[in-house]
Amino acid sequence: MSKRLQFLTYSLLAAFPAAAADVSMPKFEDRTATSGLNSVYKGDWQYMVGGGVASFDCNGDDLPDVFLAGGENVSKFYQNRSKIGGDLKFEETTSGTEVDKATGAYPLDIDGDGKMDLIVLRVGEIKLFRGLGACKFEDATSKWQAALPSAWYTAFTATWEKGNSFPTIAIGSYVDPAYEDDPWGHCTDNFLLRPNAAQNGFQPGLPLRPSYCTLSMLFTDWNRSGTPSLRVANDREYYQGGEEQLWKVPAGGEPKLYTRDDGWKYNRFWGMGIASADINGDGYPELYVTSMADQRMQFLAAGADKPTYRDAPYSMGVTATRPYTGGDERPSTGWHAQFEDVNNDGYYDLFVSKGNVDVMPDFAQKDPSNLLLQKPDGNFVEAGEKSGMLNFDEARGAIVDDFNLDGRMDVLIVNRRTNVRLFQNVSSDAGHYLGVRLSLDGPNRAAIGSWIEVKIGDRIMRREVTSGGGHASGMNGFWHFGLGGEAKTQMRVIWPDGAQSAWVDASADHFYNVTRKGSDASLEQVH
Amino acid sequence: MIKKFLAAGIVSLVSMHPAMASDVSQEKVISGWYNLILRLVRHTATYSPPLASRNFAYLGVATYEAVASGDPNLESLAGQIHDLTPFPKREVGKAYDESVVLNAALASSMSYYFGNTGPSGQNAMKSMTSKMETGVTVGVAKDVADRSEAYGEAIAAHVIDWSKSDGGADIKNLGFPEHYELKKGPAHWVPTNQQGMQQVPLLPDWEKNRTFALPTSATCELQPPPDYSEAPDSEFYKQAKEVHDTRNALTPEQTAIARFWSDDPMLSPTPPGHWVSILIQIADHDHLPAKKTADALARMGIAGADAFIGCWQTKFKYDLVRPITYIKKFIDPKWETLLITPPFPEYPSGHSVLSGASASVLTAVLGDKYAFDDATHIKDKIPARHFDSFEAAAKEAAISRLYGGIHFRAAIERGLDQGHCIAAYALKLKTEK
Repeated sequence: MSKRLQFLTYSLLAAFPAAAADVSMPKFEDRTATSGLNSVYKGDWQYMVGGGVASFDCNGDDLPDVFLAGGENVSKFYQNRSKIGGDLKFEETTSGTEVDKATGAYPLDIDGDGKMDLIVLRVGEIKLFRGLGACKFEDATSKWQAALPSAWYTAFTATWEKGNSFPTIAIGSYVDPAYEDDPWGHCTDNFLLRPNAAQNGFQPGLPLRPSYCTLSMLFTDWNRSGTPSLRVANDREYYQGGEEQLWKVPAGGEPKLYTRDDGWKYNRFWGMGIASADINGDGYPELYVTSMADQRMQFLAAGADKPTYRDAPYSMGVTATRPYTGGDERPSTGWHAQFEDVNNDGYYDLFVSKGNVDVMPDFAQKDPSNLLLQKPDGNFVEAGEKSGMLNFDEARGAIVDDFNLDGRMDVLIVNRRTNVRLFQNVSSDAGHYLGVRLSLDGPNRAAIGSWIEVKIGDRIMRREVTSGGGHASGMNGFWHFGLGGEAKTQMRVIWPDGAQSAWVDASADHFYNVTRKGSDASLEQVH
Repeated sequence: MIKKFLAAGIVSLVSMHPAMASDVSQEKVISGWYNLILRLVRHTATYSPPLASRNFAYLGVATYEAVASGDPNLESLAGQIHDLTPFPKREVGKAYDESVVLNAALASSMSYYFGNTGPSGQNAMKSMTSKMETGVTVGVAKDVADRSEAYGEAIAAHVIDWSKSDGGADIKNLGFPEHYELKKGPAHWVPTNQQGMQQVPLLPDWEKNRTFALPTSATCELQPPPDYSEAPDSEFYKQAKEVHDTRNALTPEQTAIARFWSDDPMLSPTPPGHWVSILIQIADHDHLPAKKTADALARMGIAGADAFIGCWQTKFKYDLVRPITYIKKFIDPKWETLLITPPFPEYPSGHSVLSGASASVLTAVLGDKYAFDDATHIKDKIPARHFDSFEAAAKEAAISRLYGGIHFRAAIERGLDQGHCIAAYALKLKTEK
């Protein structure tokens, strides 16, 4: 049966009331034991947050390789040895990025040499590793003048400010480790690292004051102005007088917080992870911020002139307040969040990793991560158990990525004090898909700040190309679009400078390298 | 009685002996622990205002009994508060150190009442326990220290055991029931936000808890709120319009007042903690003797806990709709409150009841013209405010809920009355012999 027929058949079946479901249910299998992955995020108080993974290709085979933060354990690097479409296999290799005290990591081609670099967040000093090719790296923290004061680093995001060939990086930090016995009110500085005049390293870190014990940061062009702002999720457990933040970061100018007068609302929760995607198709990114008890999906509420957000209606099904199964009725603790279409029906789904901070009796100890499938009506439905992903690990960071390039998104989760867990997406009735990797010549090779738009019937699925967010975890590679029953599609790119490409035909179920020719997008099928 | 008095006298004499006295005064023990308590109330998720009021009462009683047990002029609260039986007695003729007794009682109570706090809170408690224990035992003979510590722990155990049967000991889901049927009709409370947790009200059965000094939860029940009406000339509509208009034309001072008394759970020590903070600031600043502070902590804790039980009885009897629901529906669909609307019925205002009760106690203990500065939120960048009396502070706390857009005037004014009524029972308790 062709994928299109298969998908239509399923859709028809799903529409029939007896089917009792109006979403295509993905199927995941736990492949941890056979994957070769073996890494534990270990440590006590200073490692109660963090536990990240970075996913990116560093050996040219297009398959995502992974860096796993280990906390008190030394971090590990695994090259992806999977066959395309085959079982997920990884091999631990020495990369030069192995460090202790790592809390998380994000890939970014900082120097634009076509070899992915890696930013490692740590309890202590951050490390910037320069990619040398073949999954080898060198510590370039000093070379790029990126040293920051010792702190408990927990967040990262990057952008290319206009006119720069080197990125601007925001680094977030948490509680001052010196105050373990009285940590409240002892948040340390977040920093903005901007390029130096020679565009080959960074100026001294610019403190982003006030800083409020940050656990996630994301440069996002929330109002499509062409200049991204810096959304910062802060943990109210530790700040005093703090709140969630959105910084205006004019290119080369002084960062300034959006205020109540600008329309920014006074929001205070346990901000832990940020995901973004245009869920409702209005052209602006919705933001999802994980927290304890209720997670927050926020919609732009007053147009592009004001950064005023409203919470999604409860009926939308995205609060993920309590464990959906397992018998523990206490509220949840959310960490990493990521929008991806895991059943390829053309609607963003949402993965949220969950796990108790440690032994907090007010919160669920058996707290399964969520897989929320978006229905055509825009509401979400829980699919963690039905899809085969149910477990009660103490999850932290995670990545939803296609590790075997079969067009189905897999899930890799870092756990506190136990091995990582890897779920392979083995759905047999997933819809069509499209994989898109933006590749510019020179700086900002991954075209961070672009928007990719893909037609799905009469709808457009769009996503902002960002670097950062989540919980201590990030990826860089192919961007995934589910196409439902569409075997052909068209796509276009709005480049970081605002230039808009023409629509370009693309065949479903392929991966494309997309380069820029003038304003237009040139597609090269790579898989 | 004579024997008891003599024994107590010996204890006092012994504990006054320089070679036997702790280097850390009882005043410092109270200040040290209560400052940590206030931080932990903020950072322990179960501590909604009702639970905070309950546990402040038990901590206050433990503090008072530890102090009173070594002071022949003070009367135990056993037999005066519902179901509180006599405390264990000290060994006759044996020496005790009062700071060690008090420290042990508080340390032991803390580990129980904040057992739910997170890893940072646990670290803070361990650190404080270690520092205090080291401090209070300096200069104290080991046998005296051991005996005193055991006795303080026995006081705490007695309070803890008593507290387990009050109906409020086991809080699930941070106080939000898994199932709750909303009352039908436009006059009744409905959820006011999109959070999954708060689609049901907080602790709807709290009125069933055992009261402390208040005869029953309904002893100070209020008259009904103004009749629900959607007619623009009705009293109900007028009160809603007042909330709407006030919120929309807030002065900077009114905004500052609303923020100052906002006292949101998990972002502050909660309203009961705010009043405890006021007392602790005064105790530190004015060097109140431990027995006076302990008396106030116990009475204010009891009055505050009874205030929440009585208030909740009235709240769920009338189950009144919140201003934001009514105003959005009938006056202005785009209207927003300044403060976060709490997830439970409107009438009466919990902060008003609690503030009325707390002010009554502090006025009785410290005087009716006791001026003070309140810097409870100074670390949150909210400046201190000056008050000429406790009643002035209570009135400001109450009206702050109108400025914040979360209460109608009737809930505020009558809430204060209910608080005064409830506190009268705590003030009848006999502490001086």
